[in-house]
Amino acid sequence: MPHIPTDTDVYEVFAQHGSSTPLNHVGSIVSPRRDTAWHLAKETYGRRDDLVTLWVVRRDDMIVPSAEDRGLLAAKTRMPHRQPGFPTARRRDRAAAAETAGSASQVRDSAPAAHRDEAPGAGEAGLADLWLALADDLFVLGNRLGERICDYIDVEEALAVGSIGQEALAHAGTILTLRGFDQPAVDAWFFDRAQEQWQVSRVIERITDWPSTVACGLVVAAAVTVLAEQTAQVETDAAQLSAIAAVREEQLVHLDHWRRWARALSDWPETRAEFTRAYAEVTELAGDVFGARPQGGPAGALPGDPAPAATLHERLAALVGGGPGSQLPEHPLPRTAGLGGSALAHSLAQGRVVRDAYAPGVFS
Amino acid sequence: MLTANAAGHRGYELWDPMPDDVREGARRFASVQALNELVGVLQYVEWLDRAPGHTRRQMLMAKIQDEVGHGHAVARVAEDLGVPRERIFLDYLEGHTKLHNIFHFSFQTWEELGAGLLLTNSAAICQFQSLAKGVYLPYARALRKVEREESFHYQHALDLTHEVMTHGDAVQRRRVQDAFEVWLTRILIYLGPPDTDTLHTNRMWQVGMKPDSNDAVRQKWLNKIIPVFRKLGVHVDPELVRQAPSGEWEYAMPDWAEVKKLIANGGPSSQKRLDWVRNALDRNAKYRRAMQGVA
Repeated sequence: MPHIPTDTDVYEVFAQHGSSTPLNHVGSIVSPRRDTAWHLAKETYGRRDDLVTLWVVRRDDMIVPSAEDRGLLAAKTRMPHRQPGFPTARRRDRAAAAETAGSASQVRDSAPAAHRDEAPGAGEAGLADLWLALADDLFVLGNRLGERICDYIDVEEALAVGSIGQEALAHAGTILTLRGFDQPAVDAWFFDRAQEQWQVSRVIERITDWPSTVACGLVVAAAVTVLAEQTAQVETDAAQLSAIAAVREEQLVHLDHWRRWARALSDWPETRAEFTRAYAEVTELAGDVFGARPQGGPAGALPGDPAPAATLHERLAALVGGGPGSQLPEHPLPRTAGLGGSALAHSLAQGRVVRDAYAPGVFS
Repeated sequence: MLTANAAGHRGYELWDPMPDDVREGARRFASVQALNELVGVLQYVEWLDRAPGHTRRQMLMAKIQDEVGHGHAVARVAEDLGVPRERIFLDYLEGHTKLHNIFHFSFQTWEELGAGLLLTNSAAICQFQSLAKGVYLPYARALRKVEREESFHYQHALDLTHEVMTHGDAVQRRRVQDAFEVWLTRILIYLGPPDTDTLHTNRMWQVGMKPDSNDAVRQKWLNKIIPVFRKLGVHVDPELVRQAPSGEWEYAMPDWAEVKKLIANGGPSSQKRLDWVRNALDRNAKYRRAMQGVA
C-alpha cells in the first residue's frame, strides 16, 4: 500500500527548465523551517539555469508508492487492451491463428469449452471449481461496474470504478485461461452459455443501487483474495502462481476501495440506514460464495485439491463479518446453477445481439 | 511568469497574470468540453453490454473510462479557473450550456457505431491538436493527455469498422456506408460554421486561444480520414465531399437554423441525455456527500 514518509525536515525539489518541458524532480534539501525551504532550494538547484518554475514539497506531505506497489504501476502489462497498438496486433494475431487452424469455427470446436456440455462433475468441489464459479461472479460484477462509469458519483470515483470493472473482467478471463481455455473458449463461456449453466453467487442478484454495489464488490474482492491465498498454500509451482498473485494484488486494492466506501456510507448519517440494510442483505446471500459445484473438465493449471469450504468461509467471515450488521451465515451453503435473475438474463441476451448476427468465430 | 510560445503569443499558467479574455476563454473552452466528454460518452455506454466478446468489451469499457477521464482532465482545468464541477452539469440541466450536435443522437446499429466512432475520434484528434497550440498551458497539457488516449480510440474504431467490412454480410457493410454518409455531415457541422473570412476578428484567435480556423481544421481532417474510409472499401460520393484540383476539399454546408434547433435539445436523444444526467445526480448526491463528509 502507498505510504506517507515521515522525514519532517526533508523537502523534495521539482524544477521546470522550459515552458514546454515537464516539471522534473531534481533532488531534495533539508530545511529546519518551512518558510526558508523555497529559498534554500533555489540556491541549491537554481544557480545555473533559467527556471520557469520551482516547486518545493515537504516529503512528509507526499504519498508515494511502496516497493510492493510496483506491479500496480505497470499499466502496459496489466491492461494491454488500453494500448493504441493493441487492436491492430490482435487483428494480426487472430488472422494468423485462423490461417493455422484452417477456419475460425475449427478453432472454436477444438476449445475446451466443450466440457460445458458434459454432465456436471460428481463428488467434492476442488479449488479449481471454486475459481470457475468465481469467474462467473467477476464477469457479471465487472459488467455492472462498467455501467457505473457514467453514474457520476464523482468523476474520480467513476475512473476508479472503470478500472475495478476492467480488472474484474480481466480476472474472470485469467481464471478461465488457467483452466486451459483459449480465447474462443473464454468467449463461448461468457457469451454462449445459457443462464441455467451459470453458477453465480446469490449476491450477484442483489446488485441494484450504489450501496449494494459497494457491499457486493467488497464480498467478491474478499472471496477472491481468500481463495488466492488458499491456492498459494497448496500450489507449489511458482510459475503457475504468478497469475494468481497478480489477481490477488489487484483484488486487495479493490477490497480496500470498497472498505473505504463501506466505512463512509455507514459513518454518514444520511446513508447509514440504507447501507446497513444493503450490507445485511448482501452478506446474508454470501454464504454460497465457496459453495461451487464441480462442472467437470480439466483443472488446468489450477489445483484440483479438495476445497476446504468451512475454512475458506471462516476467512471470508473475518474479512466481511465485521461490517455493519453482517448477516453472513455461520456455515457455507451450496451454489445453485441458473441464478442471476432477470438482470443476468437481460445481460446475456444483450451480449448476443451483435454476436448472433455474425458467423460463429468472428468475435472470438 | 510569461513565456513566448510558437504562435507569437505568450503562454500562461494558472497563477500568471493574463488577459481577461484568455482566462474567460479557457474557462469556457474547458467547461464546455468537460460537459461534452462527460455526457457525450452516454452514446457509447448504450453499446457496452452488446459488445460481442470478452476482449471487445474490455476495449469498449476502456474507451468509455477514457472519455470520462477526458472530462475529468478538462473539468479540473475549469475548476481551477473557478467553475465548480457541479456547475458544469447544472448549467446543462438549466439550459445555459449545450451539447455538440453529434451527442443528440444514438447509434442504431453496431455497424453504425464503429464508423461513427472513427469519424468522431479522427475529427476530435484534429481539433485537439489545434487547440493544444493555445496559450493557456494547463488546458494545452490536458489536451495532450486526451490526444494520446484518442489515438487508442481511433485504432479501436478502425478495428471495429475493419471487422465489419471483413466479416459482415452485404447488409452489415451497407450500414457502414450509410453511417459514413450520415456521420460525415454531422462531423462537418461539429467542426463549426465556416470562419475563414472572420477568423481574424474572432477574439479567441486574437488572444491565442483558437490557433486555427474551423475551415482549416475541417480540411486537415478530411485529408486524413477520407483515404482511411476509401481503404476500408467505403464509397465516397462526390455529391457529399470531393477534392478540387487544388487539393481543397469541397462539401455542402448544412442549414445552420436546423442545427441550432437540434443543439437546443431538439435531437432524437436530447431528452434521454438530460434525463440520465438529472437522475444520476439526484440518485447519487447523498453517496457523494458521504464520501466527502468523512474524507
